[in-house]
Amino acid sequence: MSTATNIVTAVRIHGVDKSFGPAESAVMALKQVEFEARQGELIMLVGPSGCGKTTLLSVIAGTLRADAGTTEVFGQRLDGLTQEELTAFRRKNLGFVFQSFNLIPTLSVRENVMVPLLIQGTSYAEAAAKAGEILAKVGLEGREDGSATALSGGQQQRVAIARALVHEPPLLICDEPTSALDKDTGGKVMEMIRELSHSPKRCVIVVTHDQRIFRFADRIAEMEDGRISRVVDDPRQLETPSY
Amino acid sequence: MYRLALNMLFGDRAKLAMLLCGLSFSALLMAQQSSVFFGIMSWTYTPMVNIRASIWVSDSEVEQVNDAKPMRDTDVSRVRSVDGVSWAAPLHSSIMQARMPNGKFKLISLVGIDSDTFAGAPATLTQGNIEDLRLPNTVLVDEWGANLLGHVVIQPDGSEKIIPLQIGDTFELNDTEARIVGICRVKRAFTGGPFVYTTYDRAKAYTANVRRALSYVLVEPREGVSIDDLRLRIERETGLKAWTSDTDLWHWKEGSLARSTFWWFWKNTGIPFSFGTAVLLGLFVGIAISGQTFYSFVLENLKYFAAIKAMGASMGVLARMLLLQALTAGLLGFGLGVGMAQAIGRGMIEKGMPPFVMYPQILWATFVLVLGISFTSALIGMVKVARVDPASVFRG
Repeated sequence: MSTATNIVTAVRIHGVDKSFGPAESAVMALKQVEFEARQGELIMLVGPSGCGKTTLLSVIAGTLRADAGTTEVFGQRLDGLTQEELTAFRRKNLGFVFQSFNLIPTLSVRENVMVPLLIQGTSYAEAAAKAGEILAKVGLEGREDGSATALSGGQQQRVAIARALVHEPPLLICDEPTSALDKDTGGKVMEMIRELSHSPKRCVIVVTHDQRIFRFADRIAEMEDGRISRVVDDPRQLETPSY
Repeated sequence: MYRLALNMLFGDRAKLAMLLCGLSFSALLMAQQSSVFFGIMSWTYTPMVNIRASIWVSDSEVEQVNDAKPMRDTDVSRVRSVDGVSWAAPLHSSIMQARMPNGKFKLISLVGIDSDTFAGAPATLTQGNIEDLRLPNTVLVDEWGANLLGHVVIQPDGSEKIIPLQIGDTFELNDTEARIVGICRVKRAFTGGPFVYTTYDRAKAYTANVRRALSYVLVEPREGVSIDDLRLRIERETGLKAWTSDTDLWHWKEGSLARSTFWWFWKNTGIPFSFGTAVLLGLFVGIAISGQTFYSFVLENLKYFAAIKAMGASMGVLARMLLLQALTAGLLGFGLGVGMAQAIGRGMIEKGMPPFVMYPQILWATFVLVLGISFTSALIGMVKVARVDPASVFRG
């Protein structure tokens, strides 16, 4: 995916701090983080539990504000945006794949996929058509009108991938997308993420501690104690991760 | 998003059923109790409905129609002498004990009307002829009274059957015979006893010729004379109290005896408190059940709302989704509750007890309150959703 010679930065994090709790007993989750993700690549954020992966992902996604430093996504500084502007930014530019799928159980598979389009104001009919198309791409043709909860874990994650990509966002954020799945299913899901999200204009950031899927990454940023400890281009360099 | 909001609501049938139970029970309690309340209150001024005259003149101390203070017969002439009066007729009204052929006593409302004009006579006679009231010792009985005062016959199987009073049957009022010459259809009274109509003079005889038997003077203004003007003129010239016969609860004006009666019962009895408590109970039960159920619906869906929020839905969209869900449940609950109240009311009307009057205003008030409950429930949900951190979706 990262074969382009003209490298364009999609996400740039500079000197970001983030702490939780009262000042006297604050826990520093991110410490002067420097991070960069490029258009056209799939980059993984890896590290042991509590190292700050999810916090960094939340800052990148604009769902969490950093205490210090700058966050830039596709040239847009997020730290200066109001809550409404951040919401609008996420609506347009981000797709999410969550660890626990977060599919709404009372809605059909198709309706779950339609959510990002409907949030953007797309008509119900158009959203339904687009959802049908992408569901066919993830191999769930014929299951559109069934309940999302009636599907297997792997199928549910495929629905979640379809939902994340249906509005064609330039940044796809995946939070532990395979942690709830077995090895084979996890591998297939990652293949799907890689295949469907492949685009020179799109950046995919995957947070994981699942070493089995490192091979799908173009680059891997390893986190340790709230900092990016190293970034490697070849996943084999992390066959013995530091955690 | 709003269609999805409805699908989310209808997709969780157990929660929806619970929500509708709370809202419909609340609507039922509020609409049914209010209707019975207004039904009972409408009974308090029944004589105003049954006895038709534009102006009722009473003693100046009268506060409500069921508590007439006796006047002198000469007061009829005084009223007749007021300029603008077309006619004025005496009316007697009292509660008496009727002695039935089997020796039992029953409470009745005796109404004595002018034998010349029959002013104040019931509008509908289902049997008999009004002129027959001029015959000696004759009375009219209302349909309900005919049943209530009827003969009890023991059936071969041992059960009791009531044979309603017929024309020609008799009973006694103050040891004097009262022979039925007609059955009339009138509205029932708050006092409970059936109406027995007779002439004014005979009513005086039944009440053992009390010195003052005149309860009201019924007055009709001359053509072109305003009721209000004449009412005030009668008061000014006679010192008596003159009332309008206005009985429309929602439009009655100054000087309405029905209105004065309504408020007398409102202030001096526990009826409004009792029914008001039931209505408030309905409101609180509705808020408690539907608020709690909707809150639990929101709690269960909180992580999905957080996910939708993370995906870029504004709080405005989420608030409208919750509002739509709550108001839809409210509308359905209102429909179900009021439908049940109507069904119960119809049953009540068929059985004749207790009275049931569902004014459009009751429907509107119930509608507003049920939607208020739904809105409150939505508000509770909105607070919870507003507080949910979209970053929480990354915490597994």
